[in-house]
Amino acid sequence: MLKSKYTIAITGLMLITGIYLIFFTRKPVNYSADVKPIINQKCISCHGGVKKKGGFSLLFREEALAATASGKPAIIPGDAANSDMIKRLYHNDPEERMPYREEPLSKEEKDILTRWIDEGARFETHWSYLPVTKPSLPKSGLLSLFSGKYDNDIDRFIDEKLDEIDLERTEEADKRTLLRRVSLDLIGMPAPDSIGQQFLKDEGPDAYSKLVDNLLSLPAYGERWTALWMDLARYADTKGYERDYIRSIWRYRDWLIKAFNQDMPYNQFITEQIAGDLLPGATNEQLIATAFHRNTMTNDEGGTDNEEFRTAAIIDRVNTTWETLMGTSFACVQCHSHPYDPFKHEDYYRFMAYFNNSRDEDTYDEDPLLREFRNKSALQFDSLTSWLSAKLTINEHKLFYNQLIRTGHACVNSIQADSLINAALEDTKFLRLRKTGIARFKQMDFNGYKELMIRYRSPVDKGSLTIHADSLKTVPIATAQFSKTNGGWQLISIPVSANFSGVHDLFFSYNSPLLKDVNDNGIVIDWFTAIPSFPEKENPIGKYYYGLFTGLLNNPDAEKTPVMLDNPSYMKRKTYIFERGNWLLKTNEVEPGLPEIFTQETAKRTKNRLELARWMTDKNNPLTARTMVNRLWEQLFGQGLVETLEDLGSQGAIPTHRELLDFLAYNFMHEENWSVKKLLKRIVTSETYRQRSLVSKDALKKDPLNKYYARAPRVRLSAEQIRDQALVICGTLSNKMYGPSVMPYQPEGIWKSPYDERKWIQSQGEDQYRRSIYTYWKRTSPYPSMVNFDGTAREVCLTRRIRTNTPLQALTILNDSTYWDLSVKLAKGVMQDKNADVKQRISKAYELATGQPITPQKVIVLDDLYVQSLKKLGNDQERIKKMMSDSIYKKEDRQLAAMSMVTNAILNLDEVITKN
Amino acid sequence: MSGKKLFNEAKTYHHRFNTRRHFLSQCKTGMGLMALGSLLDSCNLFGGDLQDLDNTKNPLQPKAPHFQGKAKSVIFLHMAGAPSQLEMFDYKPELQKMDGLDCPDSFIQGKKFAFIRGVPKLLGPQANFKQYGESGLWLSDNLPHFSQVIDDVSILKAVNTDQFNHAPAQLLMHCGTARLGRPSIGSWVTYGLGSENSNLPGFVVLTSGGRNPDSGKSVWGSGFLPSVYQGVQCRSEGDPVLFLKDPNGFDRDMRKSSIEAINKINELAYNEYQDPEILSRIAQYEMAFKMQIAVPDVMNIADEPAYIHEMYGTEPGKESFANNALLARKLVEKGVRFVQLFDWGWDSHGTDPGTALDQGFITKCRQTDKTITALLLDLKQRGLLDETLVVWGGEFGRTPMQENRDGKQNYFKGRDHHADAFSMWMAGGGIKGGFSYGETDPIGYNAIDGKVSVYDVQATILKQLGFDHEQLTYQFQGRDFRLTDVFGKVIDPIIA
Repeated sequence: MLKSKYTIAITGLMLITGIYLIFFTRKPVNYSADVKPIINQKCISCHGGVKKKGGFSLLFREEALAATASGKPAIIPGDAANSDMIKRLYHNDPEERMPYREEPLSKEEKDILTRWIDEGARFETHWSYLPVTKPSLPKSGLLSLFSGKYDNDIDRFIDEKLDEIDLERTEEADKRTLLRRVSLDLIGMPAPDSIGQQFLKDEGPDAYSKLVDNLLSLPAYGERWTALWMDLARYADTKGYERDYIRSIWRYRDWLIKAFNQDMPYNQFITEQIAGDLLPGATNEQLIATAFHRNTMTNDEGGTDNEEFRTAAIIDRVNTTWETLMGTSFACVQCHSHPYDPFKHEDYYRFMAYFNNSRDEDTYDEDPLLREFRNKSALQFDSLTSWLSAKLTINEHKLFYNQLIRTGHACVNSIQADSLINAALEDTKFLRLRKTGIARFKQMDFNGYKELMIRYRSPVDKGSLTIHADSLKTVPIATAQFSKTNGGWQLISIPVSANFSGVHDLFFSYNSPLLKDVNDNGIVIDWFTAIPSFPEKENPIGKYYYGLFTGLLNNPDAEKTPVMLDNPSYMKRKTYIFERGNWLLKTNEVEPGLPEIFTQETAKRTKNRLELARWMTDKNNPLTARTMVNRLWEQLFGQGLVETLEDLGSQGAIPTHRELLDFLAYNFMHEENWSVKKLLKRIVTSETYRQRSLVSKDALKKDPLNKYYARAPRVRLSAEQIRDQALVICGTLSNKMYGPSVMPYQPEGIWKSPYDERKWIQSQGEDQYRRSIYTYWKRTSPYPSMVNFDGTAREVCLTRRIRTNTPLQALTILNDSTYWDLSVKLAKGVMQDKNADVKQRISKAYELATGQPITPQKVIVLDDLYVQSLKKLGNDQERIKKMMSDSIYKKEDRQLAAMSMVTNAILNLDEVITKN
Repeated sequence: MSGKKLFNEAKTYHHRFNTRRHFLSQCKTGMGLMALGSLLDSCNLFGGDLQDLDNTKNPLQPKAPHFQGKAKSVIFLHMAGAPSQLEMFDYKPELQKMDGLDCPDSFIQGKKFAFIRGVPKLLGPQANFKQYGESGLWLSDNLPHFSQVIDDVSILKAVNTDQFNHAPAQLLMHCGTARLGRPSIGSWVTYGLGSENSNLPGFVVLTSGGRNPDSGKSVWGSGFLPSVYQGVQCRSEGDPVLFLKDPNGFDRDMRKSSIEAINKINELAYNEYQDPEILSRIAQYEMAFKMQIAVPDVMNIADEPAYIHEMYGTEPGKESFANNALLARKLVEKGVRFVQLFDWGWDSHGTDPGTALDQGFITKCRQTDKTITALLLDLKQRGLLDETLVVWGGEFGRTPMQENRDGKQNYFKGRDHHADAFSMWMAGGGIKGGFSYGETDPIGYNAIDGKVSVYDVQATILKQLGFDHEQLTYQFQGRDFRLTDVFGKVIDPIIA
């Protein structure tokens, strides 16, 4: 041991000497490699985005060369000797010497900065902000001279790096290992038997390639990749925050599954999620896609400021867009310019402006909602729209009715009311007018429409509402009478005076003679909207269709999903810079725009959400493809080519194989037409992917973290994979796809909602055994066994799950009823073969779980467990009944209980919960 | 490059292998055998004495710190939401005189607040203060019990943070950064010291009523440190740890043989793959087994004598701060290194009675005052206070101004978030008693003397445990990280 310690120390010394030599070879200094790290570590915390001490910032070149507080610049390009920045590094007075009150820079560091200024103080754009260009393939390394040509260019890049540390790739894994690995990776669970057997029997050279194609075409493929995307989209079945009420947004999950299965090109996949609603003639599916950004949390807590939480949701959309889709930690720019990367404070708000005009505003029912009509409502919708289409002459009106019925667009939510007298925003959800109540709605535009539709409830009869424009003193533009309503919301449509038009403040004035006191409650208004006159309402046919219309609008049989829709022009919100990120401290107004660093032509033209999506998926966008490629790599290899998936910027991890990342990103865009399936196939067919995961001592020492890929990684399965695999092994997985979330078994007392009576009601039948992505996800109380395996609450997006290894994971698979139940099922399964002996049954269970034949040593261990268990169970019928959850004792239960002990152990094995 | 630097670099390089990856190369036989060894040795289940084992084998093995520390364990009482220092420890008679006056411009110019807008009014202390103990420290009448232990604590009156929202400020307090992804202080401590009890996690988290802090579980996460160091959350109701109980019909013996079988096979897998995670998994299964006994045992407070329940205000079976405080004492008694308690409900904005300084806030003080006092007295009577560092605080403090949300005076008396100066206290573990450090200006807005940062608090905690906070590092993404980032200075004046 002592010897190896010295070896390490000596290797360390050699490395350092190497670095030393590099520093002292007189090449021009490299900004990104040499200068930026010093600046980031030693200077920028005082002279960067957050603070500009002495008026000096090193973040952008124009700032760095500008006059400081002293009146002259601190950097004079080409003249380090006269640059204050350098002088201050050498200053004798500790109060003057930089870094202020820190250790002085080392001689080498000073030297680098001096030379950098002498050489012109050039700044460089960080690699990830430059467009992806086609990298040239590495020259074949020494290895390839012997091994002939490469089938897959990925291996060239890997070998080039391996040469540097003098390691070689490991040989290809055996077929069974490969089968299990690639199945878990592509479909998230073991392959169906037929596909697996076909591969194992196929001796042909393209057997593996066929296997990959087969897996990619399974519906389970879409489910597996949806699991990943749900973390990024912060998908949950509840709204979050304190009350955390139910949200129905599972249609978005269905959309994801279908999009992955159809191999929707990634650029389209992104575009529809960011701006599907703005696509010409947007379909329901394209609207559903935009639920991506409706997964933000909304706050139902009474008294909370809807605008505050609307703003929080917008901010979340900005952060999520950058972090998940463009690998950039943008959140810090909310409060100040990025401390390390070239994003300015105002860039954040310019970007926020793209999202700031969506119609949602933290309302209780999460408008706007896409209504997908079912049953009778679906028929009614068809018949109503065709009738309206025949009767309405103006195309705009047809569109208006269609949008209003499908999405409620664009109703004015009553929470927008202000200047309240004898009125209140009840629970900050609805406008309540009391006796002689008045409320104002600012700057309403009726578009020339002559009817006003109001959704309301009235606790009393004889209510009357008059609506005035601009002032209560004007002649009312509309009046309405309200009778007492029972139960739910009602719709009323009232005519607006013929000469009314333009943009006006509206005053709602209410009274009922039956109310005695100014504190007595009159009507509650949910929303109102102006509509083009409904045709032929006076004749019976028209009246019938009007009935259909109000029925569909008010109370349809429909699945309602929150979607993105933009505000009509008169509701447009202005976007301001928030001082230090505080939404209450609004400063300058900004227009939508991209950070200045993105100088491409397309970037300059980008003015709305759709154009933003186009820019993000432009082949010149430097981040989108790299981020996705890096993410897919991480899913397959357990770590990204840039370890920090969330940050490809200068403070993120240094890429292990930057050229490979660019090569894959370039091909993804230019050759594979953004096909995720093709990209995945390219990676999983590489020799690098197909290696064994055995490691030599040499390799473990040289590359303990497997950053060079001289072996296949061993990675613990994800929460979803562990459960889904167990369901497959035990033969109980339900193949049912799509639909609302389900509630498999969960221990008592998990859901703690102080305001909510809802309970976890265990699903029955096959819904117990659906794939994990269908499990109901409550933000304040996510499914515990999945959380133990690093699932998160999904309050905000999660760009990567950090894998942990804890005793709680052991306890979960050992004791969670779900896994015990599955252990018993597996035991029952292997015991069906009456001719098999115990050892054969154990072998069978092991093979089902791992896809590998068992070794004799392992049989001995498990058989021993079986024998011991039998012995310990003895004839304790009561105990056996408990274990088997049987009401009556059956003779075979004793063997079954013992075998269940064995299968439970098998489900817990490292080789079962790890991908080899 | 100087010889010393080269030497240090080489040492760091060597160290890196000695920490995370080091134990791997040596333990192919060691850990597996140890795992099985101590399983079979069931008489060791409650003792948790691991002295006979080679200390390279287990990542949670007790380790020597940099120097002899005065504290062995830490109990960190976090009042999530941020209690008002002005109604507890920081007595400001001048502020009382200025009650109701407009806040002077100099305090709000260019400042950021979570909710205050425009010109708020100053709000005098909503409590009466008196001096207590030999030390004569000031305390408010919201804390009638605490006066009994005032001579055991050091109050820090000028703590400063740079975050004014709950989640980031809580992260900063516990992880040394306002962003997600870094190890929490409890993880650093267990990484540096290991655990003295092999049957219990080294780092336990207890939350009042099972509610998580705003910043979620990241405040006890292990960040980039190996996951064995992350905090384990224990519930004070139902199964203390989820899935702790064996399936129906099991007995200990059966569970033991099944874990033995699992670990034997995992050992075979390790021999084949040399993957260090397998060793970690073997250790986790062993720990799981031991936790099944040790956790219910330590989490059971029903057997505590009546006078203890009376002292703490505990009610067995209920989810409460009091129960958690008693559990904290039991846990440190058993050798758990770091116990983090989160209480909630301290966000006294004055938007409703529950967050009013003259209503809900007083209730919160009442709920905790007796309990915290009992905890200190109990530790003391057991001779544990000397070696247990107790830290109390919120993630920031409250403004001397009354909150005026949206520019309108809040209906109830409340204060907004305040990062510039707030109070915390420490007791035991080699900290001076009856001492106050730091001073704020007459209205309690700015620190004017003895200003300390959150990093300084962290550095001091580490110092008491025997660590130089600048040396307790871990290499990640190409650089050495430490809890205190590039900051932190030990608060020497409060050290006995």
